[in-house]
Amino acid sequence: MAGAKNHDYHILPPSINPLIGSFAALTMFFGLVMMFQPKVFGGYGSLVFGGGLIAVLYTFWTWWSDVIKEAHAGDHTPVVSLHLRYGMILFIASEVMFFVGWFWAWFDFSLFPVPLEIVRDPETHALTITNLFGQDGAAAATQFPAKGMEVFDAFSLPLLNTLILLCSGTTVTWAHHALIHGDRKGLINGLWVTVILGALFSCIQAYEYSSAPFPFGGLNYGSAFYMATGFHGFHVLVGTIFLIVCLARAYAGHFTPKQHFGFEAAAWYWHFVDVVWLFLFVVVYVWGGWGAPVHA
Amino acid sequence: MTTIAAHPTDHHDHAHDDHKPSFFARWFMSTNHKDIGTLYLIFAIFAGVIGGLISGLMRLELAEPGIQYLTSWASMMKGSGASLDEAYHMWNVLITAHGLIMVFFMVMPAIIGGFGNWFVPLMIGAPDMAFPRMNNISFWLTAVAFIMLLGSTFVPGGTGLGAGTGWTVYAPLSTSGSVGPAVDMAIFSLHLAGAASILGAVNFITTIFNMRAPGMTLHKMPLFVWSVLVTAFLLLLSLPVLAAAITMLLVDRNFGGAFFDAAGGGDPVLYQHLFWFFGHPEVYIMILPGFGIISQIVATFSRKPVFGYLGMAYAMVAIGVVGFVVWAHHMYTTGMSVEVKMYFTAATMVIAVPTGIKIFSWIATMWGGSLSFKTPMVWALGFIFMFTVGGVTGVVLANGGVDDNLHDTYYVVAHFHYVLSLGAVFALFAGFYYWFGKMSGRMLNEFLGHLHFWVFFVGVNMLFFPMHFLGQQGMPRRYPDYPDAFAHWNEIASYGYAVLGVGVLIFFVNVFWSLAAGRKAEGNYWGEGATTLEWTLSSPPPFHQFETLPVIK
Amino acid sequence: MNILKKLVLVLGLASMPALVAAQAPNPAPAPAAAEAKAVAAPVATAPTVAPVAEKAATDAAKPAAATDGSLPGYTPMKPTPGVGMPVDRGVDFQDQYSANGHYAKWINNVVLLPLITVIALLVLALLLWVVVRFRRAANPNPSKTTHNTVIEIVWTLIPVLILLGVAYPSLDLVAKQFKPAPKEAVTVKVTGYQWYWGYAYPDHGGFEVVSNMLKEKDEVKPGERFRTDNDGPKLLAADNRLVVPAGVPLRLQITAADVIHSFAVPAFWFKLDAVPGRLNEKALTIEKPGVYFGQCSELCGARHAYMPIVVDALPPEQFAAWVKAKGGAMPGEKAADAAAAPAAPAANDNANAAAPAAATK
Ligand code: HEA
Ligand code: HEA
Ligand code: CUA
Ligand SMILES: [Cu+2]
Repeated sequence: MAGAKNHDYHILPPSINPLIGSFAALTMFFGLVMMFQPKVFGGYGSLVFGGGLIAVLYTFWTWWSDVIKEAHAGDHTPVVSLHLRYGMILFIASEVMFFVGWFWAWFDFSLFPVPLEIVRDPETHALTITNLFGQDGAAAATQFPAKGMEVFDAFSLPLLNTLILLCSGTTVTWAHHALIHGDRKGLINGLWVTVILGALFSCIQAYEYSSAPFPFGGLNYGSAFYMATGFHGFHVLVGTIFLIVCLARAYAGHFTPKQHFGFEAAAWYWHFVDVVWLFLFVVVYVWGGWGAPVHA
Repeated sequence: MTTIAAHPTDHHDHAHDDHKPSFFARWFMSTNHKDIGTLYLIFAIFAGVIGGLISGLMRLELAEPGIQYLTSWASMMKGSGASLDEAYHMWNVLITAHGLIMVFFMVMPAIIGGFGNWFVPLMIGAPDMAFPRMNNISFWLTAVAFIMLLGSTFVPGGTGLGAGTGWTVYAPLSTSGSVGPAVDMAIFSLHLAGAASILGAVNFITTIFNMRAPGMTLHKMPLFVWSVLVTAFLLLLSLPVLAAAITMLLVDRNFGGAFFDAAGGGDPVLYQHLFWFFGHPEVYIMILPGFGIISQIVATFSRKPVFGYLGMAYAMVAIGVVGFVVWAHHMYTTGMSVEVKMYFTAATMVIAVPTGIKIFSWIATMWGGSLSFKTPMVWALGFIFMFTVGGVTGVVLANGGVDDNLHDTYYVVAHFHYVLSLGAVFALFAGFYYWFGKMSGRMLNEFLGHLHFWVFFVGVNMLFFPMHFLGQQGMPRRYPDYPDAFAHWNEIASYGYAVLGVGVLIFFVNVFWSLAAGRKAEGNYWGEGATTLEWTLSSPPPFHQFETLPVIK
Repeated sequence: MNILKKLVLVLGLASMPALVAAQAPNPAPAPAAAEAKAVAAPVATAPTVAPVAEKAATDAAKPAAATDGSLPGYTPMKPTPGVGMPVDRGVDFQDQYSANGHYAKWINNVVLLPLITVIALLVLALLLWVVVRFRRAANPNPSKTTHNTVIEIVWTLIPVLILLGVAYPSLDLVAKQFKPAPKEAVTVKVTGYQWYWGYAYPDHGGFEVVSNMLKEKDEVKPGERFRTDNDGPKLLAADNRLVVPAGVPLRLQITAADVIHSFAVPAFWFKLDAVPGRLNEKALTIEKPGVYFGQCSELCGARHAYMPIVVDALPPEQFAAWVKAKGGAMPGEKAADAAAAPAAPAANDNANAAAPAAATK
């Protein structure tokens, strides 16, 4: 009886990936520190960081390749694929809490404004940011967004982006339905549209950043805005890559109407990214810019 | 609680026909929850020794007023003569390293990574964890995080080498106040350790929800499994907020961000909110699995199931839930409004109620029992009393108005060492004595175990009890030097460290002695009181257990 | 103790010859601060604050005018041993010199401490009882009882009731502590710097007093001021004290210029963080003239342990004399005298401008 496996769980063989991945992460982060502190570490930070990053990406690649192989080998029994579902949901839950941190900062700054004054040099467009704390005129300057700031018009590009993401949410569902009904062509088309919409979103977001009327550094609004939307943007990129992988797998003939967790995970992730954006749109763009002059 | 009617067949040593991988594959590429648990335990003991030695340096410096050794230590680190400021900075580096190591690299890896990994699958009748490979990366990420933290002490961190921000890493001391890579490295260390714990939490929750043996309903799960389940949720929901907070620190430090920089409208207190939103659940992360361990031990050595099982389980759930809404009791003096201070005072005190349920239920479990005082039980008894002492001083601190005086004094240091060094660490030792035979196949020595307990018990009380007096008299924490009036109790405390150190030595003698020559452990060496599934297996269990799932009545 | 210490010292000495290095004199940690500005524009860059910082940095080098800190019409009060400071081997809270201090100490010593002692002893007694009564020899056959709803409800409800009882005075204390100072209260703006305190008197002409810790005799250069018994205990004494009137409501406004500090005086049950960009305010009435000591209570970097707080609470007339000596003016005489303020050291009516300009593009 011993040695014979009488259950449906997945007992894995040893794997080197965790070890490599961990040291890769260490290298990558240490490279970042080196980049932050060139005076201490000399100029090789980007090399170390790059090396670490490549090793991290390599780990992701081999790791998930293994998972896909195992899926094809039939290791993903119903109970194991339930594991994967739990895992993905819990991971997304932790991501939600990560965004809670950034929203918290945003609410702190917006609900408890401090007296900032921003003066734009008409020639150079450079901003001078002054905290009037404890000085005359502080009360009048206590508002959010700060006095003298211009914000994005929530109802132009951000609204467009909202529609794009909402739309991509439906197209990914279209792909899912096609998959469930064994319609591979529909799956591929749906994924293509979703990926394109995702890429479009990222491009628009990048364009918008490039014309931002406020800085990243030195200003609470800017730091909180860019980090919250920037991390969201990063998640959009990750989600898009995830969908591209699914697309490639769809071409390669992976996924069956019954078993296609890789696709489902990508779709869940995409919806999560979508929902975060809705909150960003409402809280950061619409409500967070309320009352401030709009950047032309 | 569960009683086992599992197959009595599976346990006679099949260890020899388990196909164990080669040494390297087994320990560096592991996908086996028991091996990973062992790695975690060894790692935690190693970190505990380092953290303990650092605290020894601290007690040495604090043994009498004046700066005795710091200048030489700072010079040692630097390789040339250190200035007084560098010496003072060295103090901050020591306490920061001590706090971070004890919290992130000793207690958490030992209690969740070590015992959780070993015994959660065994107790629910599962062959392994849900994600065995991910389990291993949790461990290795913790290990590289530790490397990163240790490395930070050798690079500039502001006034001297190393990160001197306190384990709480408050801004703006940690941003504009600490120039140099040390704090960046400490922050990345927390990122890595945090990622490890989040993955671990995902793994535990999935395992517990999805891999229970047939018949093992949630309400039959051993309380240790319950405690790990609640802990995993706390980790999952609190650590990402810390990750966001320390990422903001990085942004402020390196990209000119203004999250915590008042000049740009940032708010230093925001960091504290984010930190303690994680930090308070974190203290329950460190103690809940301890509660679980104590429950198993008390039941075993009373030869009686745990009293009020459901109450015990849901008390932990309640502690976990309420633990998320009390964080600002660490911030009473930051200048919060009166309503907020009142709310946090009231909410914090609420936690005494479910915790009281646990204390009284343990006593009720023993009530009417047939108690034997094996080493684990002695540690468990010590835990119950000492944790109560630490808990009730927590209730004093919970009173915002009273805390105005006690905050950031040694009273707080006394409080949290009672719940940690006499709470979590007692639970660790209890669990270690309880399960060592199961894990290693060798029994620890009972006499040395008792001796370890008593020496350690006297030592830690001598060390930490006088700190209440120092705190009430007003001695602030994070001070390398103090006015002469505080000398007496500090000296006693430092003596206490010497006593405790002897206790830890006895522990190591015991471990090495029993690994070399200890009595062989039977499958269920504690006898009829030990009813959970791990006792149905051989000691140590086969490399892969439960290849046929046990069925729970 | 000595054996332990020697042991470790010998070990250390044996392994690391470098550690014998002599203690260098305190340098001003200027380079670090300068670098920080470039990245994050820390609040300390305020032009209004800068003179103060400079003054403090050079303070140590300058021979003090009077070696005991006295001014015409003002001599620092001699501290009373055991008052406003920790006492040798003390276990209790320091004696309190404010109404809220008495109340808070009463809550702890009469409500909380007895309560927690009884709870801890109760748990201990129960443990000892079960250990004796239910040890295997005394009770070979364990009972099988695992539930008793009544007792479970009891040990849930009783703590709830106890805590409700505690909450009443506790919240009452919080409410009292938050009572704002009356209009006529004397305002002092306290600013924490790395690593000294600044005390500004906006109602009295706005001068600022800079308060540095006094070093010991063997730590200063010849001619520099050092601590004497008149100044107070070692590590607690400061060159310039926070001088306030006793028996009169004070309004303490607390902020910081660089990192977070915390203004704490145990004898008043008073602790409030000094946070850059925030002005924390709290009322205080000191009951009796005297000297009261406190210490910075939030980790603020290397010299966190070396920025003590010394409150010199004077009878109101003497306070007025001190204000005069400082070149300030009592509120009534403001118009006449305020102009003559520049005589005050580091005159600075904007001490709380802790969050100045930062320029970015
Ligand atoms: C394992 C870790 C752990 C645990 C379990 C606790 C448990 C508690 N802690 Fe503690 N705490 C810390 C670790 C922990 N703490 C740490 C590390 C810090 C400092 C961090 C830093 O600043 O560096 C800290 C600081 C800290 C503070 C901030 C102090 C300050 O900085 O000013 C406060 C204030 O409210 C507090 C309160 C409490 C309370 C009310 C509990 C409660 O959960 C205790 C409940 C238990 C009991 C009450 C005993 C048993 C109950 C009964 C027998 C029933 C009857 C009892 C009554 C009716 C009262 N803690
Ligand atoms: C779990 C947490 C933990 C533990 C166990 C300890 C243990 C000890 N701590 Fe401390 N301590 C902290 C967490 C902890 N501490 C924190 C968070 C701070 C605040 C830091 C800050 O201000 O930022 C602090 C601060 C702190 C201070 C205050 C410093 C200051 O404010 O200036 C002091 C001073 O004496 C001190 C001393 C000690 C001593 C002598 C011990 C001794 O008990 C140590 C003896 C050694 C052990 C007990 C470890 C033995 C364990 C093992 C060898 C592993 C066993 C493993 C298994 C069985 C699997 N600690
Ligand atoms: Cu200033 Cu601590
Ligand atoms: Cu807490």
